[in-house]
Amino acid sequence: MDFDFTDDQAALREAVQRWVDKGFGFARRQQLARAGGRTREVWAELAGLGLTGLVTPPDHGGLGLGAIEAMVVMEELGRGLVNAPYAQGALIAPSLLAEAPPALQAAWLPRIAEGTALVVLAHQERAARYRLDHVTTRATPLGAGWVLDGAKSVVPAGDEADAYLVPARVSGEVSDAAGIGLFLVERGATGLGLRGYPTHDGARAAELGFAATPATAITTEGLAVLERAVDVARAALCAEAVGAMDRLVEITVGYMNTRRQFGTTLASFQALRHRIADVKMQLELARSMSYYASLKLGEPPAARRRAVAQARLQLGESMRFVGQQCVQLHGGIGITDEYIASHYFKRLTVMELSFGDTLQALAEVSAQMQDTAGVFA
Amino acid sequence: MDLTFTPEELAFREEVRAWVAAHLPADIAHKVHHALRLTKDDHQRWARILGAKGWLGWGWPTAFGGPGWNAIQRHLFEEECALAGAPRVMPFGPVMVAPVIMAFGTPEQQRRFLPGIASGEVWWSQGYSEPGAGSDLASLKCRAERRGDYYVVNGQKTWTTLGQHGDWIFCLVRTRNEGKPQAGISFLLIDMKSPGVSVRPIILLDGEHEVNEVWFDDVEVPVDNRVGEENQGWTCAKHLLAHERTNIADVNRSKRELERLKRIARAEGVWDDLRFRDQVARLEVDIVALEMMVLRVLCAETSGKQSLDVAGLLKIRGSEITQRYAELMMLAAGPYAVPWIHDAMEAGWQGDHVGAAHCAPLAGTYLNHRKTTIYGGSNEVQRNIVAQTVLGS
Repeated sequence: MDFDFTDDQAALREAVQRWVDKGFGFARRQQLARAGGRTREVWAELAGLGLTGLVTPPDHGGLGLGAIEAMVVMEELGRGLVNAPYAQGALIAPSLLAEAPPALQAAWLPRIAEGTALVVLAHQERAARYRLDHVTTRATPLGAGWVLDGAKSVVPAGDEADAYLVPARVSGEVSDAAGIGLFLVERGATGLGLRGYPTHDGARAAELGFAATPATAITTEGLAVLERAVDVARAALCAEAVGAMDRLVEITVGYMNTRRQFGTTLASFQALRHRIADVKMQLELARSMSYYASLKLGEPPAARRRAVAQARLQLGESMRFVGQQCVQLHGGIGITDEYIASHYFKRLTVMELSFGDTLQALAEVSAQMQDTAGVFA
Repeated sequence: MDLTFTPEELAFREEVRAWVAAHLPADIAHKVHHALRLTKDDHQRWARILGAKGWLGWGWPTAFGGPGWNAIQRHLFEEECALAGAPRVMPFGPVMVAPVIMAFGTPEQQRRFLPGIASGEVWWSQGYSEPGAGSDLASLKCRAERRGDYYVVNGQKTWTTLGQHGDWIFCLVRTRNEGKPQAGISFLLIDMKSPGVSVRPIILLDGEHEVNEVWFDDVEVPVDNRVGEENQGWTCAKHLLAHERTNIADVNRSKRELERLKRIARAEGVWDDLRFRDQVARLEVDIVALEMMVLRVLCAETSGKQSLDVAGLLKIRGSEITQRYAELMMLAAGPYAVPWIHDAMEAGWQGDHVGAAHCAPLAGTYLNHRKTTIYGGSNEVQRNIVAQTVLGS
């Protein structure tokens, strides 16, 4: 057992850090966000670093790296508050496409790796909350392919993507575990409705509608694949949140040591000192559970899902507490648009509501409890 | 990064598990698993069994007759003992005073005191807190005046855990009043059978005699019993605190108690109440997160590649979790936590329980565990320490 990073992982971290330091300052982020949150150019820059092919197998032009490398990259993107759909395009999509027929893999994975294609998961439906088996979008066979009818909601980078990975029902009723297929829909497909909008974290999302929209099947029995991809997404979010919280705490500590009131620094007031100690607690618990999630991604489904749900619960609580308290510790400047702390807070808030929320994670943990408990239980 | 134990570590765990299974007396494990009262004899039997194997000083280096285990091995040993239902080893001898004697004691002191600690023959107590010196330990007043080859000790120590069984007590005493309070403290080893030592019980809110006052009335202590230089006792005290590290998180015991909480919740019919079960789920995640943090610290210690200064966080979180499982067990019992039948905490009691037998100790444990966020440096003091580290100011 060890929690050290390899030299290669450390070098990967430094490469992302260098790019953030040089090319992705707060001013640029603000500019992108104010222009509507379109970040395709950022995606292309990440591709230039080889990062969009991070987990894609080498025979499709990727680096073929694993969960810990993904965690390292996500931590640094979180620290830099990078508002690009990296996890969606580079981690989640390859996880789903790994189950696709070879021709479909060959058509998309190399383009993802080189950064010329952005493919995102479009799985949320109205009234589904965060349940993955709640699928009303219908897939009907037509000729050699399929057509989809239905709608998907709050699809990240939805109006910037080249294609969508869409769960749709090939059989059964709305909440049946069986009969959920996974399909690829291309951006220009007939009958595809698209309404994009900005999101609170300086990025974009879209509502998608399908009306006899042509689609290519990845699999017709895809719930397990979808569950795995969502766990990949959740682990990525955990890591991104750790990076974001780490930096937000640094910023807050810097502020506490310089801002003066009543003739002394904020850092000299015990009420605030105890608060930052509680913030540090939540950060370190979150970091521990983020490691846990990424380290358990390769486990069999039941163990993986349980571990990721546990991590997601801890991270959800940590994200909310650290975000809220770091704003509070700043005072008025913390709730302004011009200051970076509020943007970390907004990103943390959006993350808490992505791929499941904290209450839903609690429900999952509660339902999956065993007699024994602990890291190795 | 890797979350699996090496084959050597797994083999080590198997060895410890098999040995504990073969040597832990069943009657003692029964008491621990059911939170029944442990006697002095229970503690001493287990200590001597460990001592005979050479494992009572499980954190000791080989130079002093210890097993020389690394941080992960020590953790695995503690985990196996806790899960098997072994009583907590009284830390005052092997975990607290022994490392001080190793680091600051003379070879003569080491020869004289360490064997009795390693074997479990000598019961040590801790003389730190005083009525006027709790979290602010350096303000202690218990006085030792030098008279030739002796110190004459006068004053009072308090919160002395199981001091009623103590053979020896290690004390921080004031040997100088000038200068900074920390700079006038010495570390003395005192035979509790010395004339002038008296022990008076303090009954805690659960009705149990767990802690004591220890009074010193003109007690003569040979200068040879001072560890370290005169007025350098604070250095010894800090060394002792540094040796606590991860075991203050008590995560192994919390894992065992979480299993008991689930059994009690099922038996009492609250397991099917989702509002209750969600509380247990939340606690379970707290325990996993704490265990991960402990493992991170152990690995950092073993590999030496990172340093993780989170002892304060481990103490805060560990103590909060300890209180929380006790609280949930009591809530699971509901009205059956209310009766206080002193004898029902004795193993083999034949009287009539009110409700299920497992309900008898639950409120007492809950009440008693309020101590965990107070002792060992209150959690508020711990937050001061964490803040100092985080803020660097």
